Amino acid sequence: MIRFGPATGPVVVAVLPLLEEANRTRTFVSGMLRRLAARDIASALPDLPGQGESLVPTENAMLAGWRTALASAAMEAAGERPVHILSFRGGALLDHDVKAASRWQLAPAKGEALVRELLRTSAAAGARIDIDLGNYNDEGGPVTIAGNALSRTLLRDLNAADCVREGAVRVVRLDTDPAVADRKVAGAPLWRQSEPGDDSALADLLADDIADWIARCAN
Amino acid sequence: MTTHPAPSTVDQTVRAVLKDVLALDADRVAAFDDDTALFGALPELDSMAVAGVLTEIEDRLHILIEDDEVDGEMLESFGALRRFAEAKVGAKKGT
Repeated sequence: MIRFGPATGPVVVAVLPLLEEANRTRTFVSGMLRRLAARDIASALPDLPGQGESLVPTENAMLAGWRTALASAAMEAAGERPVHILSFRGGALLDHDVKAASRWQLAPAKGEALVRELLRTSAAAGARIDIDLGNYNDEGGPVTIAGNALSRTLLRDLNAADCVREGAVRVVRLDTDPAVADRKVAGAPLWRQSEPGDDSALADLLADDIADWIARCAN
Repeated sequence: MTTHPAPSTVDQTVRAVLKDVLALDADRVAAFDDDTALFGALPELDSMAVAGVLTEIEDRLHILIEDDEVDGEMLESFGALRRFAEAKVGAKKGT
């Protein structure tokens, strides 16, 4: 877990997108957290089981395990301090078990859309995956998508997963995304680019938006 | 002489997606014409990027592309991809 910022006040717990998208956005998200630290806001970026620096094989990753791991990482990072979740894309599917004062989501994605894109990635590479996403009795082995071995259970659970919408939630999307949002911002979808990129103008703008949001939530 | 089709929002959306997802130079994408070869010719458009390009086009145009519609032909050239997307948008309006 990487930590930024002061030892007092609220703690922003950042949740990266899932799988390959996490690698594409890690630099961008770390940059945002550094900008929040410059605005005197503390943050933490945990690694979930099977992701980042975790030693758990990806095929053992499960949705429930990710949610539990995130909740305990948030407790560890914040202690008694208020937690504000900052999630990106499929990361917004993981914070259900966190006791959060607020949730700020960038381009939150439904699990169904993410799974469809994963299966399409595999199909485009010439390895079509045969899976019935509604059949929980299918005990077939893990499937490999873009180099990651993933369990069938994970794909099924993700396919049915959605974001938390209750409580204090702010949704920000790119202006090219027609879905509903509290704010639209200009920028390219870094999570879809095969080369990890960065966008410092967007990171500045979003850090301001998050700082404002957290200040408003505190009142 | 190359033909210059009237710019449509679908045309602009497909160009913007290629620029954003493949991180291509804006001038280069603006110069794409119907004959510009894509899959197999653009090193940035590998099989992983194909999924990102198609999903981004779906999201921005509010269309659904079935996996069995995805073939080498629709990705062969900029014109083929644009025509595919235009047909999808047209079919949506027709229903």
